[in-house]
Amino acid sequence: MKKLAPVLLFFFVFVSAGPLLAQDNLSPARKQAIDSLALEKVRDLSKYITIIGSKTTPWSEANRVMDRADELFMPGSQMGVSSLLHPKIQYYTVRKYFERLMRLNYSKVEIEWYKINYVSDLQRQPDGTYVGVITIFQKFKAYDKEGRLLYQDTTKKDITVYVKRKQTQIQGRMIGFWDVLLGDIRVKETSK
Amino acid sequence: MRNKSWTSATGLMMVVLFATLMIGGLSSCKSKKKLAREKAAAEYAARVEQAKKTLTAILDGTSGWSLDEQQKQFDTIKTYNIDDPEVKDLMVKVAEKLKSEQAEAARKAEEQRLRDQEAAKRKADVEKFKPLNDAFSQIAESETYSEANQRINNTLSLFATSEVPVLIIIDQAQGFNDYDRPTTIVKFLNYLKDMKAYSFAVESVKKDAQGKITELELIKK
Repeated sequence: MKKLAPVLLFFFVFVSAGPLLAQDNLSPARKQAIDSLALEKVRDLSKYITIIGSKTTPWSEANRVMDRADELFMPGSQMGVSSLLHPKIQYYTVRKYFERLMRLNYSKVEIEWYKINYVSDLQRQPDGTYVGVITIFQKFKAYDKEGRLLYQDTTKKDITVYVKRKQTQIQGRMIGFWDVLLGDIRVKETSK
Repeated sequence: MRNKSWTSATGLMMVVLFATLMIGGLSSCKSKKKLAREKAAAEYAARVEQAKKTLTAILDGTSGWSLDEQQKQFDTIKTYNIDDPEVKDLMVKVAEKLKSEQAEAARKAEEQRLRDQEAAKRKADVEKFKPLNDAFSQIAESETYSEANQRINNTLSLFATSEVPVLIIIDQAQGFNDYDRPTTIVKFLNYLKDMKAYSFAVESVKKDAQGKITELELIKK
């Protein structure tokens, strides 16, 4: 047994540390895939916000999309909302924000996100989570029944993104995956 | 008397002529052998020189020959059994070089074979999964919610349940797949409807005894 001890120790250290090493030393290609995945999630959110805000979206579809959009976020994440009419930035939980967005008192709402880029690259934290910041520009336009533009602004927002390696069991086998979750979305500046 | 002296003079001349011919013949035979030796030595020297040139060209990579041609040249030179230290040294170096280049060529050929095999598999997969990929594309291209929902319902009939797991490969490296967070088929089909784009390809499917899909693996394009 004493002779076996070093062998067992070797297996314990190297076999159990294998996946850990794999995630610690990410190749540039893997890192790029994760960077792209996080950007993709922000683009997905952008689409979801457009759908939720659109007055042509059926109520049932908007509610379903709210659920999907909600799943993109860390629990308790907040969204900053600004207006050229009010100096104070309001923060709502993302679910509350989506519900308010759906109920906006305009006949037509157009929301477009553009210039979606990393402002701070994903950096590995001591707990293994990768954290980065993605900046976006949001163009908001609201119209009345006659199609007249009532309000518009452009807001720059920063979104914190968290990427963590996780495992789940699918049909009896363990699958490792990268879980991307969005955190708070903070307003940086608002202009006409 | 006169006739007698003439006869003896003729005899003497004949002896001298015979002796000259004998000596001349012998000396000609000797020089032929010498010439042959010299010729052989010159040929050997030329062969050594040519061997050096050939081996050096192979070693420097300036021969312009294919690997097979280089090997043939090397094998031919080997049959000469040249006993020259420089040639022997070059032979060792060239043998090593050819061995290493042949191993590298074999490795590249194997890589190419695997690439071809993978490409063939991909091509076969494209054909095999075309109906499924087309169904996903059509959902994404739907003009209205009702059209998209109708297509979603049709596509769902190919799956065992609406909760069939969908795995999305975001990267393939070092022999394993990196996945996005797993989702379900109903969520994925609605995702296509929302995004209005299908930027994936079916990588694999698992089916049950009824031929319904029980697991779907996609790869990001």
